[in-house]
Amino acid sequence: MDRLIADTAARIFSDHVDRGVLDAAERGEFPRALWDVVREAGLHLVGSPGSGTDGGDVYELLKVAGRHAVPLPLAEALIANSFLDEAGLTTIAGEGVAPWGRVADRVVTVEGEMSVDFDVAEDANLAGESRDRIRLRSAHRIDVPAQLYERMALSRVALMAGALDRILAMTIDYATAREQFGRPIAKFQAVQHNLAVLAGEVAAARCACDGAIMAHASANFAVSVAAAKARVGEAAGVAAEIVHQVHGAMGFTHEHSLHHFTRRLWAWRDEYGRETHWQEQLGRRVAGGGADSFWEFLVGAG
Amino acid sequence: MFAGLSFEPTRLPGEAEALRAEVRDFVARELPPDYWPNSDFNEGHSPAFSRKLGGRGWIGMTWPKRFGGGERTFFERYVVTEELLAAGAPVSAHWIADRQSGPLLLNYGTEDQCRRYLPRIARGECFFSIGMSEPNSGSDLASVRTRAERVSDGWVVNGTKIWTTDAHRNHYIITLVRTEPPSENRHAGLSQLLIDLCGEGVAVRPIRNLAGGEDFNEVVFADCFVPDDGVVGEPGNGWTQVTSELGYERSGPERFLSAFRVLVEFVRAVGNDPSPGEAALIGRLASHLITLRRMSISVAGMLQEGGSPVVESALVKSLGNDFEKLLGELVRLQAPPGHVHLEKCLRQTLLHSPSFTLRGGTREILRGVIARGLGLR
Repeated sequence: MDRLIADTAARIFSDHVDRGVLDAAERGEFPRALWDVVREAGLHLVGSPGSGTDGGDVYELLKVAGRHAVPLPLAEALIANSFLDEAGLTTIAGEGVAPWGRVADRVVTVEGEMSVDFDVAEDANLAGESRDRIRLRSAHRIDVPAQLYERMALSRVALMAGALDRILAMTIDYATAREQFGRPIAKFQAVQHNLAVLAGEVAAARCACDGAIMAHASANFAVSVAAAKARVGEAAGVAAEIVHQVHGAMGFTHEHSLHHFTRRLWAWRDEYGRETHWQEQLGRRVAGGGADSFWEFLVGAG
Repeated sequence: MFAGLSFEPTRLPGEAEALRAEVRDFVARELPPDYWPNSDFNEGHSPAFSRKLGGRGWIGMTWPKRFGGGERTFFERYVVTEELLAAGAPVSAHWIADRQSGPLLLNYGTEDQCRRYLPRIARGECFFSIGMSEPNSGSDLASVRTRAERVSDGWVVNGTKIWTTDAHRNHYIITLVRTEPPSENRHAGLSQLLIDLCGEGVAVRPIRNLAGGEDFNEVVFADCFVPDDGVVGEPGNGWTQVTSELGYERSGPERFLSAFRVLVEFVRAVGNDPSPGEAALIGRLASHLITLRRMSISVAGMLQEGGSPVVESALVKSLGNDFEKLLGELVRLQAPPGHVHLEKCLRQTLLHSPSFTLRGGTREILRGVIARGLGLR
C-alpha cells in the first residue's frame, strides 16, 4: 500500500482513537466524530474502484486499524465499498450479525442480499464491539464478489496481525520498564524466552497474513485465507496468553489498555470461522488431492 | 519494527519456480522406484548422488562461476533444496559444504582457498564437517578450549570437537579454535582453521545416537599441524565468522521439514474422506507449513539482498523445530492402526526428535538470539 495512506491512517487513528472513544464505543455509542475524520481523509474508499488503490490495500489498511483497535465497522465499510457505490455507511452481516447495524444505512449479507429495511437487536462480541443481530424485513439479491466469506475472514486476519504487532511492542515496552527484584523483568531469561516465543508467533502471523493479502487476486486466495485464518487464530491465542502473563495483574485490570487488544484478538479469531473451521477446509483439500500431491499443494499455496 | 522481524512478503520468481520440475524429473530418474524417502537431511548419505547433483549445477548454485558456482539466486537455491528435502533425497554428503562451509570460504577465505575448495564442493566431490562444539563446550561456543599454537609456518592444534556430523566420511572440517588465551572479551582470540580430516594428528571416533545411527563423531586433534593457508579469514576474527556461518546454518527449509514424511503418510492413511478431526489436524499442520515456507522464502530474499538475517534465521529455525516436534506428537494420537509406513515414519521421527531442537543451536540459544534482536539483552 502507498506508504502515505498507511501513515495518514496511523496518524488519524493515533490522534482520534483514545480511551474515551474506545470506552464510549463499548457502551454502544457509535464514534461519529472518528468516522467523519476517516471519511474526510477518504480512508473509507481505499480499495474501491477509481480510488487508485487495490483490493490488497483494504487489508493493509485493516492491519493499521488493528494496531489501534479502531472501533468502527471499517472492515465492513471498506469491503462493501470495494464492490458497491458508496452510499452512507454500509455494514456486512455474516451469520445474521453485523458490526454497527444500529447506525448503518444499508446492510449486505455475505450470502448476497442487500437491505435498507431491517430490524436490529443490539449486541456485542466479547471485546465489547458492536455485533448487532440483524433481521431483514425486505431485501433484494445483489451480485457480491466471489469468496466474500473469505474476504471477511481475511479482514479479521489483518486486524489480528495489526493487534499482534501492537501487543508485542506494548509488552516489550512494559517488560523493559517494569522492575522487580531490582532489575527490569526483561532481563530475566524466563521472561526473555516468553517474549521470543511471542515474537515468533507475531512474525508467523504477519507472514501468514501478508501471504494471503498477496494472493488476494489469485487462484490461491481461498487456500491462503484458510491457512492464514487458522494460523493467525492460533497465534492470537498463544500471544494473548503470553502478553497477559508478562503484564501480570496490571494487565488484568480494566484500566490498563492491553485488554482492548487481547479481547479483540479473542473475538476476531472466532469471527468468520474459528481455527478448526479453516483447518478442516484446508485438511479436506489436502486429503482430496492425496498424499502424493500434498507437497505440490503446499508449494501451490505460495 | 524490531530488528529480526522484518519478514518482507516475498514471492519466488519465475526462474526459480521453473527449476522445480527439473529437480523432480531428476529425482524420479536417479532414485530407484522402491526408494524409501529419508525424513531428514542428515539421514541419506550418497557421494554418488551428490556428484550427480553437482553435475547438474545444483551445489554451490549462488557462488561465482570462476569458483565453479552457478551465479544463480538464493531463490533458485531455495527451490532446489526444498524439492530435494521433500523428496527425501540422500543429500547429507554435500549438505554442510554447500550450505555453510562454501559460503564461509567465499565471505572470508582467500582467493587461493576459494579456488582450491569451492569448485570441488560444487562438483559434489568434496565434503565438509562443522568443528564447533566440544565435550565441555556445548551451547557456550565462546568457551571452546581446542587451541592452536603458532609455529614457524603454521599452527599446531590440540583439543577435541564433538557432534561433528559425518566427520568419519567427510574430507575437511572447519574448526573453531582458540589462538589467543581467554581474556576479558570472551569472543576475542578465536579463529577458524580448515583441517584435513584424513591428515596426521586427527582421530575420528563415531558416536552412536539413540536411534542406532552413527552420523556424528568425536574428532580428536593431537599435535595436528595446520599450515598458514589453512586459516579461514583473519586470526582472531573467529567469533564474527562463526556467527555469520550460523546464519546460513539456520535459515533453510530443513529446519521445518524433518517430520514432513510423517504427515504425508498420515494423509495417505486417512484417505480422501477424513473425519473432521483428521482433516483439522492435517489442515492445522498445513497452515504451519505454508507459513514457515513463506518465512523461509523471505529469509532467502534477505540473503539475496546481501543481508545477514541472523535473528530471522533463529526465529524460523525455532518455530520450525517446535513444529517438527509437535507434528509427530499430534499425528501419533490420531494415527489409524495398521499403516506400517506411517508407523515407521513416526518411530523414525520420534527417535530423532530430541536432535531437532539441539542441532544448529538449541531452542534456548535461539530464543536468546531472538531476545537480543528484540533489544532485551
